[in-house]
Amino acid sequence: MRDRSSVCSIGARRKATLLVLASAGVLAACSSSSHSSSPSTASSGGSTATSAAGASGSGGKLTIAFNMGAEADPFFIAMNQGAEAEAKSLGVNLIWQGDPSQYSPATQIPIVDQLLAEHPSALIISPTDPDALQPAVNQAIAQGIPVVNVDTHVTDLSKVLSFITGDNQQGGAAAADAMAAAMHYTAGQTYQVVVGASSATTTTNTARLAGFKAEIAAKYPGIKVMAEAYSQSQPAVANTNVNNWLTEYPNLKGIFAIDGTNASGAAAALQARNLVGKVALVGYDAYSTNVALLQKNVFAALIAQNPTEEGKLAVQYAVQYLNTKSTSGIPHEQTLPNIVLTPNSSAADLAQYTYPTA
Amino acid sequence: MTMTPASTEGQGRAAPAADPNPPATEPRDWARSILGNQQFLLLVALGALILYFYSKRSVFLSSGEMANILDDFCSLILLAVGETFVIVSGGIDLSVGSTASFAGVIGAFSMRGMVSHNDSEALVLVVGTIVCAAVGAGVGLVNAALINWLRLVPFVATLATLGAGAGMAIVLSHGIPIGDDTRAIIFSQAKVGPFSWPVFIVIGILVISWLYLHLSRYGRYTFALGSNEFAARAAGINVRRHLVSVYVLSGLLSGLGGMFLYLRLGSGAPTSGAGDELRAIAAVVIGGASLLGGSGRLSGTILGGLILTTVTSGLIISNVNPNWDQVAVAVLIALAAALQALRPGRRRA
Amino acid sequence: MADAPLYEAVGISKSYGHVTALFDVNFSVNPGEIVGLVGDNGAGKSTLIKILSGVHPPDRGKIRLDGVERTWKSPHDAIEAGIETLYQDSGLAPDLTIGSNVFLGREKLKPGILGRLGFLDQKAMERQAAEELKRVGIAVSGSRRTVSDLSGGQRQAVAIGRAIAWARKVIMLDEPTNHLGARQSIEVLSVMRSAKEQGLGVIFISHTLPHVLEVTDRVVVLRLGRVVRDAATSEFDAESLLGTITGLIEAS
Repeated sequence: MRDRSSVCSIGARRKATLLVLASAGVLAACSSSSHSSSPSTASSGGSTATSAAGASGSGGKLTIAFNMGAEADPFFIAMNQGAEAEAKSLGVNLIWQGDPSQYSPATQIPIVDQLLAEHPSALIISPTDPDALQPAVNQAIAQGIPVVNVDTHVTDLSKVLSFITGDNQQGGAAAADAMAAAMHYTAGQTYQVVVGASSATTTTNTARLAGFKAEIAAKYPGIKVMAEAYSQSQPAVANTNVNNWLTEYPNLKGIFAIDGTNASGAAAALQARNLVGKVALVGYDAYSTNVALLQKNVFAALIAQNPTEEGKLAVQYAVQYLNTKSTSGIPHEQTLPNIVLTPNSSAADLAQYTYPTA
Repeated sequence: MTMTPASTEGQGRAAPAADPNPPATEPRDWARSILGNQQFLLLVALGALILYFYSKRSVFLSSGEMANILDDFCSLILLAVGETFVIVSGGIDLSVGSTASFAGVIGAFSMRGMVSHNDSEALVLVVGTIVCAAVGAGVGLVNAALINWLRLVPFVATLATLGAGAGMAIVLSHGIPIGDDTRAIIFSQAKVGPFSWPVFIVIGILVISWLYLHLSRYGRYTFALGSNEFAARAAGINVRRHLVSVYVLSGLLSGLGGMFLYLRLGSGAPTSGAGDELRAIAAVVIGGASLLGGSGRLSGTILGGLILTTVTSGLIISNVNPNWDQVAVAVLIALAAALQALRPGRRRA
Repeated sequence: MADAPLYEAVGISKSYGHVTALFDVNFSVNPGEIVGLVGDNGAGKSTLIKILSGVHPPDRGKIRLDGVERTWKSPHDAIEAGIETLYQDSGLAPDLTIGSNVFLGREKLKPGILGRLGFLDQKAMERQAAEELKRVGIAVSGSRRTVSDLSGGQRQAVAIGRAIAWARKVIMLDEPTNHLGARQSIEVLSVMRSAKEQGLGVIFISHTLPHVLEVTDRVVVLRLGRVVRDAATSEFDAESLLGTITGLIEAS
């Protein structure tokens, strides 16, 4: 549950009330207005070929090894569903393996080593640490196994076939837009808001925060970010932070809870003080608990990622490369915009984008 | 046999000159009485901190802010109380935070169904409390078993249960908070006077714990065990049984801590107690207990916990870079440890 | 001494892994008798004391108190039966007060409901501890001081005082004069004599042979886990006792 990036469901996948935000994100309101689709921001081209030693399963079925951060995390469960569906439709085998619960390089490295010993046709991996997993990725490439990074990436991406992730900066900007809409932003007025992050070093957090602030600077001069604090991934700490802010800033209008722990800590604080609907809380990630709170109007909006799409694209690109031995048409880096869910999103949309738990 | 002449009116501090093993050279009396009275120093420190934060932000002394600090204090102090018993007994319990998470998740599962059936709030919370306490006590029993029968040192045994508890909490919950019990959040915010009612339950637990640690036979055995395990055994104390009870108590209080976190967050999250073992140990050490066992005061732990939560909230409210929180805690621990080293006449074999 | 001995160990054997610590040892003490238990390091003295005090069970052999066979499951059982032990490394808890140490393991509880709830009558214990220590001839001022505040000699005095105060039948002292100065050692010996006068059986383990010769009625010599001599103290002098311990003199 660290570094979460996202894929956005693209174009046709979207349903009416669900807003997809393009990275260029010129999104205005959030509530119920349906919004036109925006294409994926794939930056195709520019990809560096893998050492094309070719580990194809010539003749037999291709086998794709998929190593994610933590199997039990609904984010990765959703990714698995996308990957499974794509593997099935392309007729390839998928080995889905990761540590059951720990998001940690210490447990990930042995699993990757073991996967490589089985000589898969390709390796798709979400590194839990950019440096710690670099040797394993190098080893795979040396063995002629093409590597795709998904969600997170290793430090040196030059020999990686493709890196697919969500656009956190765009997600932050979308959060600013959603918050402004929920506060009924009117030029000339001042709105005090705060930001709860997980830690100062998590790259997704910093990208989301940067996007959030940039959007405010560009479009909402009346919004003042009064404070930021870190939860160290503890919802109780996030809760304490928000309680203190609510005491310190009695006129607080908005909270951007940048990750799951801040979302639940802030949600509890608003409920305890009967401030639901009075303070616009924008959270991140469509975990089922968050979606339930969204339906209770505790969240004004949730910025959802699309891990299903990430998993699907990762498998698609790997198989495409194995079959064509060519990188053409495979983006070296692909960032997909995040999705905004609001209490007015239709039940079907909520169901589609809520991360599954099994 | 008169080691000290009986006629010295029983008050002489220093041993007679003839003594072949004089105690550590004693610093001047005033230094001894100040340094020896850690409770007093802690009170001064707490007062200074409150005044400092008040000077930066006057809202710090509002009743709303005090309630914030106490809410935070309540979920920490239950773990710290159990940790005090364990540390006084000469052990350490690294699993308190993960036990709180684990018990909170299991408790949340048990309550979720009842919440959706709209069962009475009191019934839901009673069931949840019992489940959390039982799960916590169970983890404590595992700790005790690892220490007593597998002969693991407490650090290793409780490190193992820390990992196992945190891992199981994540697996069972799929990494997300279980439940969205708005009713529980609001119910737990009901005020009695200026503070919410859980504060008074915690105060009750603190009073009982203090009485038992310092005035009862149970507490006496806990101190004896930490001071000299052999002496305790030779004096006929059932050391193993006592050790089991101490770890079970710590687990039980951690489980209750998990229930308090549930009340605060309206959910049982697999990370809700993560890292709290270090805060709990910090509270105990700042409170003046020795990690070698045999010494400590529950009042010190309480002051230590208040200082930690005051610093956390104070830094937020005065809008200091929140990373200073961890630095501040580290400095407090270092100061407490330094005081312990300076304290005269202690821990000499 | 016509009847069965007060406290008796018959045919005791004990091994730790491959090491045989005691082999077929017979040992006894009578009321009002001081028995010296001597031997070189590793001869098995401490092992025998730990068996007699209930810390370890023997592999083989019987223990009889007042002629009745007993089995100690824990030190608690032996203490209950009136057998007190002063261990070589202090059996005191340094962080507790003198009074708390004297009453360790047999705390006095408050009368009534508070006592039922496990609350201590600390005042009564402190007062009684001071009285008990005084009664057995030990005066350490201020029973509310913690033991860690005491000197080595004072601690030893408290430990001996506690053992004698509680002993009803037998008291075992493992190297009680270790770390003590000459004057204090003499005081320990006189405390042992007064215990003897009270009719206790006293077992005295020491490397300080002059003390053993001075205070004991009988001496048992252990070598390599076996009893090599059990005779009245009058049959030894310093030289012959040392010879028996080291094996230079072959005894019966």
